[in-house]
Amino acid sequence: MLAEAPQVLIALEQSALGAAIRQSVWAYPVANVGHIVALTLFAGSVAIMDARLIGAFAATPPAAIVRPARRMAMIGLLLMALTGSMLFTAEASHVAMNPVFQIKASLIGLGLANALLVAGPAMRALDAVPAFAPLPVRLRLSALLSLAIWISVAACGRLIAYF
Amino acid sequence: MPTEEMTMLRLLTLCLVATALGAASVAAHHGWGSYDASKPITVEGPITSSKFENPHALIAVKGKDKVWNVVLAPTTRMVSRGAPAAFIAVGKTVSAYGYASTREQDEMRAERITIDGKTVEMR
Repeated sequence: MLAEAPQVLIALEQSALGAAIRQSVWAYPVANVGHIVALTLFAGSVAIMDARLIGAFAATPPAAIVRPARRMAMIGLLLMALTGSMLFTAEASHVAMNPVFQIKASLIGLGLANALLVAGPAMRALDAVPAFAPLPVRLRLSALLSLAIWISVAACGRLIAYF
Repeated sequence: MPTEEMTMLRLLTLCLVATALGAASVAAHHGWGSYDASKPITVEGPITSSKFENPHALIAVKGKDKVWNVVLAPTTRMVSRGAPAAFIAVGKTVSAYGYASTREQDEMRAERITIDGKTVEMR
């Protein structure tokens, strides 16, 4: 327990749920492995979606790739949030005060804002775009940003253990 | 391929390489980054509290200078190395060799511990 952490996080760490995750033989390793498996689903879907928006796989109309990939990415994100909450709860006060985790949390906020506010509103217009048609620069830059952000989030996630 | 597209792909490649290099240079710094491996210490004394928990087992050791929180290995590794919960029970005398935390006061991470004449590696 890290005393300088916010009270609410200390309470979360010391809750019955936090103790149960730490004391179970399986809970923590399962959440840990599940977080990585969910990451492969999430990062893979995001990469395919963003690659199409940037201009790859141009022979397929963008919506045919982007819409299912976006759905898959949301499932991946949900699983990441679920497993991530377990890992966080077990060590809430330490993790919250970790500088790399703080960077990661900010980047997740940025990535979600980009996905919901920039890419989200463009989805409807995407349905009408045929194969080989160039996509708006704004959308392509948003996809580029998305790739950079989510790869950095993954890197930060791995680096929490080293700081 | 239109020029704009090529510029974007170049930019993307640059972004990815920069991220990978950044991550690699930081990771190469040190595995147990927040522990000072340049100054190994040995803490010896009775165990005053013992938590056999994930992600790492944790014991409090009443050393000569102060009470140290000693971070050990994940519980499954502890068991497979022959150090189950009973091995680190309260009251036993331990000698822990490891490194002090650079972030948290009174915390160290053990490279190995010796209890009842038996040494167990934590890494």
